[in-house]
Amino acid sequence: MDGGKVTLGRTAGLYLGAAVLRLALFTLFPGLADLLTGRVEISTPVTSFKRLQEGLFLYDHNVSPYDGGVYHQAPLFLPLFSLLPSLPIFTYLLYIAVDILSAGALLKIADSGEAGSSALFTSPRREKRWSGFVIAAVFLFNPFTIATCIGRSTSVFTTCAILHAISRAVAGAPFSAMVALSFAAYLSMYPLLLLPPLLLLCYDRQLPERAIKPGMRSAATNILVVVGVLAALFQMSYLMTGSWEFLPSTYGVQLTLSDLTPNIGLWWYFFIEMFDSFRSFFLAVFWLHLSCYVGGLTIRLRRQPLVVLTLLLGIFSIFKPYPSISDASLFLAMVPLYRHVFPLMRYTFVIAAVIMYTTFLGPAFYHLWIYAGSGNANFFYAITLVWGLGQSLLVCDLTFAVLRDEWEVERPEMAGKDIRQI
Amino acid sequence: MPRLLSGALRLRRDPRMLKLPPYLSLLCILVGVVWLFLLPLDEYSRRTYISENALLPGQVHTYFGGSDQNVFRAYKHEVNSLVGKSNVEINDKLESIVKGLGLKAGRQNFTYRSAGRVYSGENLYAILQAPRGDATEAIVLVAAWENAKEELNRNGVALVLTLARYFKRWSLWSKDIIFLVTPDSIAGPQAWVDAYHDAHDSARVDSLPLKSGALQGAIAIDYAKEGRFESVHIVYDGVNGQLPNLDLINSVVSIAGGQMGMGVAIQEMWGHNDQYPDRLRTMLRGMLKQGLGLASGPHSSFIPYHVDAVTLQPFGDGWQDEMAMGRVVEGTFRSLNNLLEHLHQSFFFYLLMQRERFVSIGTYLPSAMLVAANFTIMAIALWVKSGQPEGEAEPVKMEADGIGSGETTRAPAVERDLFLPLGVVTICQFLAVIPFYLFNHAPDSMLTPAFTIFAVINTALPHSLSHLLTTYYTPSAQQYQLIKSFSLLLLGMFLSSLATLNFSLAFLVGLLTSPLTFMRPWPQSPAMRTACTVLLNAVSPTAVLVAAAFAWHLDINTVLREAAFAWDVCGMYTPVVVWCVWWPAWLAGSVTVLGRPEVGKTKQKTT
Repeated sequence: MDGGKVTLGRTAGLYLGAAVLRLALFTLFPGLADLLTGRVEISTPVTSFKRLQEGLFLYDHNVSPYDGGVYHQAPLFLPLFSLLPSLPIFTYLLYIAVDILSAGALLKIADSGEAGSSALFTSPRREKRWSGFVIAAVFLFNPFTIATCIGRSTSVFTTCAILHAISRAVAGAPFSAMVALSFAAYLSMYPLLLLPPLLLLCYDRQLPERAIKPGMRSAATNILVVVGVLAALFQMSYLMTGSWEFLPSTYGVQLTLSDLTPNIGLWWYFFIEMFDSFRSFFLAVFWLHLSCYVGGLTIRLRRQPLVVLTLLLGIFSIFKPYPSISDASLFLAMVPLYRHVFPLMRYTFVIAAVIMYTTFLGPAFYHLWIYAGSGNANFFYAITLVWGLGQSLLVCDLTFAVLRDEWEVERPEMAGKDIRQI
Repeated sequence: MPRLLSGALRLRRDPRMLKLPPYLSLLCILVGVVWLFLLPLDEYSRRTYISENALLPGQVHTYFGGSDQNVFRAYKHEVNSLVGKSNVEINDKLESIVKGLGLKAGRQNFTYRSAGRVYSGENLYAILQAPRGDATEAIVLVAAWENAKEELNRNGVALVLTLARYFKRWSLWSKDIIFLVTPDSIAGPQAWVDAYHDAHDSARVDSLPLKSGALQGAIAIDYAKEGRFESVHIVYDGVNGQLPNLDLINSVVSIAGGQMGMGVAIQEMWGHNDQYPDRLRTMLRGMLKQGLGLASGPHSSFIPYHVDAVTLQPFGDGWQDEMAMGRVVEGTFRSLNNLLEHLHQSFFFYLLMQRERFVSIGTYLPSAMLVAANFTIMAIALWVKSGQPEGEAEPVKMEADGIGSGETTRAPAVERDLFLPLGVVTICQFLAVIPFYLFNHAPDSMLTPAFTIFAVINTALPHSLSHLLTTYYTPSAQQYQLIKSFSLLLLGMFLSSLATLNFSLAFLVGLLTSPLTFMRPWPQSPAMRTACTVLLNAVSPTAVLVAAAFAWHLDINTVLREAAFAWDVCGMYTPVVVWCVWWPAWLAGSVTVLGRPEVGKTKQKTT
């Protein structure tokens, strides 16, 4: 009991430390927040705080927030932010609270031990793991997370919703998991692709007393919940803005990539170069590519749905239309859950070095392109390619490690041997 | 193919591979340096050429001269009568002159505070509205009342007034022309350009009452010399080593050298025979100036705003008079007036080694990148090495016939203890805030004592840190390897990013930190430890600063004051690089050298 109290105190201290650090950055460096808000690495057209303020201004003046063609975020952000008192400190506190809520969810996921032993698979290495405290600390003090929080990108809400969906699923509460996922999907759309692995996770972690046995029935119930919640959210949005205009302006923009502001993803440059006649074809190809991982990974890694969720988050942060470092921070938050397979990974140093190099070279090349005028768009795009490479190396390496872990359970005699291409 | 692959795999596990990286690093440094020294050869450098066809330099007849000589003399007389008066009185007079010419004039106050000193003054500028333009573009003609050496720029100011009167008579301008007279060469232009682009801090610099279009180019005249001159000296270094578009320099060279028949010099090379030694000297001077990143004249402040600018200084004894100088400016302005779009065709990254010979970034960048790469190579090598079991000479036991009988057993990697190395490197990085803050906020009179105290502490700091480390943590050899690995990785990363922004600075810092690659703990040999410590102290940032000040006959106070001024006013980031990139790497390297690794402490945690 005493130990529990100590842990509780430690966790509270961690949250307090993270909150104080963020608050200090907000208040001691007043220019920092606006600087980061303007960075393309943090603010994308669908998450930018500046655009949110624009939408908010229009909303407060009883004009449709989507009229200016600038605001591409969910309508329900508007009442939330217009209800906040206008002092900036309340916005800061809201973002800090959201970060800490995310960390709390992450802590629960880590402490459940789902990463090491799921319903259908138990890793022989699961003893070696980090506590939820460490994982929450890694998330809260990750510079990418801090930068996203200071830059007040609205993707923190999606991050929080996704982490809560997973944490509720792990806790055996499928209903609230589905509600959280619906919120995430409502805010950013792409989390809807996490539904299949999340259904499996919910099914695997059902509490025995409330279990719905046939898998199909359980899935159907959960899908119904998602559809119901999404329908309710859309209806509320409709009532609030008075038209269905928000659908093309939020999800339509993501689907058709009509705003080509540079970001750290791989889409914008490609579609700038594209001839218009091929545009719709390649949009379909890009979206198909993004979604095709869901089925394959879910089936291949059926025994470890949490791994599928983690890998998908990594894939989304590389291949989604408007990625930012916030998506990378979510993926990097989930990766430490697999501490037990780290020794099986082969390129950790290379990955860390690539991610660090690009973190510094990206802003330098963006500066050369936009401010100094002595570089061009290719400079920045080249670095975003390398950034994508670093992340995909991490995804591949983690997949390799997890599969190898599974394989060594099936074939104990092969443990410790090198794989060779035949 | 499989045979080749497994051969490559076997080579990867060969213990000899791990002996290679230090030599590879050394090779990288040597190739990087040799590469640089090859650049002045004919085979590696190129002749300059005008890339933007719209410029047409030297294609128009210039008419400045004749009776303008008398006008010039009159203005010179006015300027002479203002010598010794206050800034405001001077501007009152000059304003009445330019208003008399029918130009709109504006004034701007600025007050900068740096190192406990106040730099204040008032800029005066006048706008000639283009008869054929729509005020969307403008070119600037600058004359500072005092040049960078604090000499009175009498002829420069008089020439700007004369040219203002002369330009006003022409109807061919399609861009506005702004005439700017600043009280000094660095702070005044900086305040003006900042305010022109609304990027100023309104507490220190006033807004401009009058504006024109986007600036397309700027020429500054620094004509303090009395009497006739022989050649013009082009100063082109901007703040932080940014350079103007090469086309601008080429245009001036072609107008002054080709059309007017006067000599053109760069980088204070008063005589240049276009042979290898002179080219090399020019290039190295250029690199040194670029690396320091200081503002070198009134033009420097324009370049960060993507306004291409140069300063022209007449020098030498010859038969060219003020009118010839005016014709050079007239010709250059006619060329800039022709521009249809911003200068963009030619190079922004180049090293000039003679007025008509240069190397572009593709040719010279590899040398800085190689120097930066040596750190990364070593960092990767140390990471791999730290993963191998301690004390085992041959970590790999291969089976007799590798290819035939399938899998070889891998020597499992030792678990790395990352916490302590990461902590040490992080602390080193954060400590860097102290000298950076100290030297940018100390008042003028305190700079030398602060520096002396810091230098003494700096010598003792690695010893005390190392002592703390060995007493409380007893790090293993592996942890020392990791400290060095992380610190070198960071250094390599910073330097390769920096090489894209300021090549010369990255190269110089890379060379000065290159000994860090070869530093390691010497538990058995106190002599080597002492030798390495002495070597590192000789290339520490503080020692290099003192040596550089000594070499240029400056006192340390001036150097630090100038650095603080450049950081506060122009945003020169060299101090950031010195204290937050170089110094932490040096500190981590020194701690590594002094380390006494605990033998056999590495836990043989196998995975």
